[in-house]
Amino acid sequence: MKLKCCFLLLVLLFGLSGSASVLYSGERGEDPSEALVRKIAKDLRCAVCQNQSVYESNSDLAKDMLVVIRDKVRAGESEATIRDYFFQRYGDYIYLEPTTAGSNKILWLTPLVGFVLGVLGLWGAIAHWKRSPVVPEGTDAEEGVDPAVKARIQQALDRMEV
Amino acid sequence: MKSAWKAVLLLAIMAILVLFALGLNNDPHAIPSPLINRAAPDIVALDLAGEPIRLADQRGKWVLVNFWGSWCVSCVAEHPYLIELARKTRDRTDFTIMGVDFKDTEQGARQFLARHGDPGYRHAFDPNQKIAIDWGVYGAPESYLLDPNGRIRLKQTGPLYPGWFEQVALPLIQAPLTQTEKGAP
Repeated sequence: MKLKCCFLLLVLLFGLSGSASVLYSGERGEDPSEALVRKIAKDLRCAVCQNQSVYESNSDLAKDMLVVIRDKVRAGESEATIRDYFFQRYGDYIYLEPTTAGSNKILWLTPLVGFVLGVLGLWGAIAHWKRSPVVPEGTDAEEGVDPAVKARIQQALDRMEV
Repeated sequence: MKSAWKAVLLLAIMAILVLFALGLNNDPHAIPSPLINRAAPDIVALDLAGEPIRLADQRGKWVLVNFWGSWCVSCVAEHPYLIELARKTRDRTDFTIMGVDFKDTEQGARQFLARHGDPGYRHAFDPNQKIAIDWGVYGAPESYLLDPNGRIRLKQTGPLYPGWFEQVALPLIQAPLTQTEKGAP
């Protein structure tokens, strides 16, 4: 009996939290076209606030742009047409994420080219290190050192001992 | 081989530095208009007196379209020049000015003109800045110079300055239209 009560309480709790999330989601009962308005507005950059989307910005221009987007969505225009409308007027500045078209390809490809060049450079350097001779154990590592340098080192060491 | 690599690396670093230096001169707030050399969107609205006004009616003339608002500080600084320009070009049959008062109230606009002087040309009233957005406007004042075919030839972001007409507009107005510019937009 006690277990049954606990189970019922849990079900009730989950049920309540579920309906609360629906109540406070802010999307309940909104016009179905609003989702598209939100999607378009989140991808467009507010022209006066640099790094905020039209959807997030509180500037007058962004608010009025949102109204224009809403009007166009309700008039049945497609997402591509609306995005293009703003592109034709503000250029690719209006896209929060740069497009991959035209000279923007450079922007997208440069990191990739840099990465490939870096890997090639690192590979070359490792190959170079592997090729360079390693002094085998037991041989005189000081071989090939200028005798004059050797003498100076010895002099310095002698001075330290004093 | 090694020196060749060093030269390539040096050139690459130099190129990046040059691009960086050039980029420093860019104004991060300026948005270049893609509308230059394209047909201007038509303006069909009411003027400040409530009378219908249409940009296409000015076809055949060079038109200076000036976007302003009574809330805009730079527009106050620009206004004396607009009054002077309107007075100077009053007798020209090939040039006219049209204002677009945007994101404003009719009362605010009237008070602005009463206080700072009325240049005498008409203003389209655009309270929801629908016309401004249609023209890619993002600040005030912004001005566009249209050729007789209704094509936007240049955009001035920020206030027009004394001598602007002679230095910037007149050379365009006096230059013969090229074959493509003669065609309908």
